[in-house]
Amino acid sequence: MSDSYCPDCKRNTEVVCDHAAGDTVCSECGLVLEARSIDETSEWRTFADDSGDHDPNRVGGPVNPLLGDGALTTVISRAANGSNADSSLARLQNRGGDPDRAIVLAFKAISNMADRLSLVTTIKDRASEIYKRLEDQKCTRGRNLEALVAACIYIACRQEGKPRTVKEICSIVAGATKKEIGRAKEFIVKQLKVEMGESMEMGTIHAGDYLRRFCSNLGMSNEEVKAVQETVQKAGDFDIRRSPISIAAAIIFMVTQLSESKKPLRDISIATTVAEGTIKNAYRDLYPHAARIIPEWYAKERDLKNLSSPKA
Amino acid sequence: MEDPQGLEGSQPVGLSKHPSGIVPTLQNIVSTVNLDCKLDLKAIALQARNAEYNPNRFAAVIMRIREPKTTALMFASGKMVCTGAKSEEQSRLAARKYARIIQKLGFPAKFKDFKIQNIVGSCDVKFPIRLEELAYAHGAFSLYDPELFPGLIYRMKQPKIVLLIFVSGKIVLTGAKARDETYTAFENIYPVLTEFQKVQQWSPSCSCVVEISSLVMEVSFLWQRVTT
Repeated sequence: MSDSYCPDCKRNTEVVCDHAAGDTVCSECGLVLEARSIDETSEWRTFADDSGDHDPNRVGGPVNPLLGDGALTTVISRAANGSNADSSLARLQNRGGDPDRAIVLAFKAISNMADRLSLVTTIKDRASEIYKRLEDQKCTRGRNLEALVAACIYIACRQEGKPRTVKEICSIVAGATKKEIGRAKEFIVKQLKVEMGESMEMGTIHAGDYLRRFCSNLGMSNEEVKAVQETVQKAGDFDIRRSPISIAAAIIFMVTQLSESKKPLRDISIATTVAEGTIKNAYRDLYPHAARIIPEWYAKERDLKNLSSPKA
Repeated sequence: MEDPQGLEGSQPVGLSKHPSGIVPTLQNIVSTVNLDCKLDLKAIALQARNAEYNPNRFAAVIMRIREPKTTALMFASGKMVCTGAKSEEQSRLAARKYARIIQKLGFPAKFKDFKIQNIVGSCDVKFPIRLEELAYAHGAFSLYDPELFPGLIYRMKQPKIVLLIFVSGKIVLTGAKARDETYTAFENIYPVLTEFQKVQQWSPSCSCVVEISSLVMEVSFLWQRVTT
């Protein structure tokens, strides 16, 4: 039952849907407003315990343009009623070897890693694209697949402007060390620079790129997050010779020390993947500039006095 | 007119050859020579002093001499690599000494094809450098990834030298086959470095409370002394 405008009655009248014929009929004058409407609800329901045999799907999965022929091949199916003469044909086709197998394996690995890092589909697709280009140039032979795939993801994250630290990627990859991922990344950039040129340009990393993520991992309040972002901006003017990620971690440490909820060094170390000793050292470098980089609205001078002085 | 090797720092630098006024000091020379006879590594390791030979790890005898302080790798084919010398003459002298040791052990060693393979030099431009902007401007030659390595890796095409440029202003030049290549490479990069000099921002904060300001001053003096 719904209301719709009937051209005969010239006003909104109650309209009835007859699902048998797909008609929408005005209940007052009987005019058919819409005939043969197409039912767009699902045709059938699928249950887990259903026999896998009769699959009413008339279409296959989504086409992946990265996989060679888009998986549009025809395969000889195995008959359900045991093996007879026809299964030999199926066996012969399988033995031919799938040219896409390596790529499919790599894509699966990329997909797994992306899920572990909770990456969006855009980054996952970009990483897959990078891998496909590498495979086209035949440089993936005899290289540590894990490291190569991890490097693809690292580059994809950087290109999308949402970089992940190498240590973060290390943490979810079983078979690769930071060094191996670094080497793989250099290799990929060198190989693809010839082909892709400008698009492989990734700017240098900055502390600010990682802040939002680190802060949300630690569960910091909005005020603290804003303070940290401003501090990082101002700290850029000073000559602090540390990796941008260590600086970010040290600033987060400093700002949380000034707030009510002091995060322990260990939590910050885990969230930012920076070693505790490194955070302490970077804090020692930042401490002299504390008054100048922490925003006025966040902490007054006397609060800064409470900031624990790093034991030199 | 020869520049005495050891006194480069104190001599007035030839401004025609080194317009920047800084001469890179050579830190390491790697050279190879062919002794032209098959060597019995086991016998050498047993007889010679200061020789180590671990065939499971590496297929060469590692021998060291004290003057000039160098290390040599001697292979069974008769080829030898000499590393650790601070100048080309010292490297040649050291290689000759190693050949003499092998001769004394009874092998008919000669001194064929002495060639310097790599010269490593370093210097300090005495001002901090903005690596990120340098990497952006010279993207085709630079590689700067602070996560992986704190220095910028600059691959110069002419001469073919690799330079490691650090924020502090210290430079390492490697890959040269001749001393002049190192010098030319440094003279080529020096104007680029001055272009990307980091201008120190030092604003004394007068609004600080006395205790904090004195502490900051103290720390800042220490910091300045350490970095200059």
